[in-house]
This record gives sequence, structure tokens and C-alpha cells, in this order.
Amino acid sequence: MTMLNRDQVTARLKQLPSLPSAVSELLASFSNEDVDVEQIARQIARDQGLTARVLRVANSSFYGLQSKIGTINEAVVVLGFRAVRSMVMAVSMNGAFRVDQCHGFDAMAYLRHGVGVGLAARSLAPLANQNAELAFTGGLLHDIGQLVLASNFSTQYAVALEYRKKHDCPLVVAERDILGLDHAEVGGLLAEAWRFPDSLHQAVAHHHAPAGALANSLANVVHVADAFAHAMGFANFNDEMMMAIDRTAWERLGLDGDKCRKAIAEIEHCFEETCQILRS
Amino acid sequence: MKVSEVMALEAIQPGMKVAEAVVDDGGRVLVPVGAEVTESMLSSLARRDIESIKVEHEVEEDPAAREAHRAVIVSRLDRIFRVAGDTAENRTLYQAVLDHRMENPQ
Repeated sequence: MTMLNRDQVTARLKQLPSLPSAVSELLASFSNEDVDVEQIARQIARDQGLTARVLRVANSSFYGLQSKIGTINEAVVVLGFRAVRSMVMAVSMNGAFRVDQCHGFDAMAYLRHGVGVGLAARSLAPLANQNAELAFTGGLLHDIGQLVLASNFSTQYAVALEYRKKHDCPLVVAERDILGLDHAEVGGLLAEAWRFPDSLHQAVAHHHAPAGALANSLANVVHVADAFAHAMGFANFNDEMMMAIDRTAWERLGLDGDKCRKAIAEIEHCFEETCQILRS
Repeated sequence: MKVSEVMALEAIQPGMKVAEAVVDDGGRVLVPVGAEVTESMLSSLARRDIESIKVEHEVEEDPAAREAHRAVIVSRLDRIFRVAGDTAENRTLYQAVLDHRMENPQ
């Protein structure tokens, strides 16, 4: 029996190891205006692996800075707290799951697609008056429900992946047919369990159905960014498939050919380098 | 026609333009985007065991090659868009990727 229900998933999410304290504090800071930036910076700095990766992103062509950033404090001063917060969330969350037990789950394709969507969302964010850094994080994490399924329900998820391959259907269709729920719904449950800010919760839970989200929701940006990343074939995956773009989301961003070409050039400019940084 | 592509160091000529910043493992920029390739730059990259970089250079346009290149991109895009449907927004995105790939061979 491969069917899952929300209660089963929620119960499993409660057993997940807690996030590093710096990451939890950062999540809490979305809803707390009186955040102690210096204290959080100190906490991040105590996690050497996290610090190293954040600094690599800060010094990459992602930001195109002239001078080199050497500490988390400098990153906060130069790039701003919001940028550092998004970066930390981006580099820490995807690493919280072990997916190697799930047959047929292509972790590299997952990462490449996520980076593509993150960069696309960052590029498209201004069209929707969204913060570009938050959009990057939302894009990078939009499919995190897949990681939850591949790591916690690996046998059932492998059946869904096999079904998708056999029927050449969209992944969400295979997930619904085999598991009874899809990765967007599961991602939404994780976002609740980990108390994501509402904007990221929306981006994760509604990226396949943005028309039902608010007109200014990050879900619109991430939905269209998802289409960009698929269209650009970033997953390097022979079965890569783009689903129809939701017209409402598209119109909310006011896209045309010129804006698309500009975004595509920006996305591609940082793509390989960002993949390399987030892989290591 | 100007194209940007990743080329092996041996194939790169001085005078070409660097199309993507070259960075080391620590994210430090070794060569900024837009720099003109020089002999000393090539040997310094080779010393760091860098085998290829992305450069911009002029190529003579060959209509047959261009058509073959286009056919490869179209077949890849058709495969990716196989269930997307023929809507205005899908067509716009398809065309934008096609235009970009024609100008920037991978």
C-alpha cells in the first residue's frame, strides 16, 4: 500500500531533527521586528560549514561585489540582513534530508532545478514587487516536499517516481495517483512544522496552483520561475517536462518576450557557479 | 556573429573576451567578466589546473551549421514542452529560450 495521508506525513515531520539554532532564529526573525541581528550573526558564525558556504555565495558573481567579504558581520553590513538570512536558509534547509535511500530520486537534478528556479525567481521578483532575496530562497526550496517524501517515505516515493517514468506524466500527477498527495502539499506541511514565514509557505504550497493564491503572493513568482527553469532544461534530465504556465500568474507578472529574454540571460549568467557553491 | 561559449584553454586566442568571471574554489574572482584574454592570463589559468573558460569570440556565420544548431535546440525544447499546450505564454517562453540559445551556444 503506497497511499499516504496528511496525518502520517505530519507525524513523521514531528520526528525530524530540529534545525540548527541559527536557522530557527532566522525563521523566527521573519515575524519579529526586534530581532537582534548581531546575536544571530554570531550564531551563524559559530557554524563553520554554514559560514563557509554563505561567504562563498557572498563572494560569487551572484552579487558581483568588487571587494571580498570575510565574515558574516561584513556580509550583513554589505549585503543586508535580509540577504544573509535568505542565503542561510537556502544553504541549510536542503541539506537537512537524506535522500540516497530513495531509488530513482535524482538529487543532482533536484539541486540544479532548484537553483534554476531560485535564480529565475530572483530575476522575476521585481516584476511582482517582491524581495529578490526572499524570492531566491522560495525558488530554491519550492520542491522541498520532494525531499520530505524521498527521505521519509522512500519506498512509496520510489513507486511514484517509477510510475511517472512509465506514464511520462507530470510528477504531481504520479504523486497524487500513487501517494494520494503531492510534493507541494507535503512541502506546505513542512512549512507549517518548521514555521516558515507566510510568503515562503505560500511559495512552497501553491507553486503548482498560483491562481488560488493572492495576486501579490510569492507563489506567482515561483510558479513562473519553475516554468523558466524547466524551459531552460537545467535539470539535465532527459524526461524533463514543463507543465502549462498558469495564465493568471503570468499576467500578474506582466511578462513579455523582452522581459523573458532579459531574465533568461541573468539566470544563465549565475547558474553553473551557484550550483557549484550549493553542491559543496 | 559573436558567440559566447566554454572553450578549452588551448583553443582560446589572445584578444578574445572573457564571457564569465573565472573564480577559484573560495569564490575569489581570478579573471573578471569582460577582460581581454592575454598569453599570461592563459598560462596563469593553466597553472591553476583550469582547463576551460567561457569566452566571447567572432565566428563566421554558416547558414547550414546555424540551421543544424537550431534543429537541436528545437528538438530539445519540443521534448520539454510536450505537455505544456499551445498557449500564448508557453509560446512566448519557448521563443525566448530559443532566441537565447541561438545567440549563446552552450
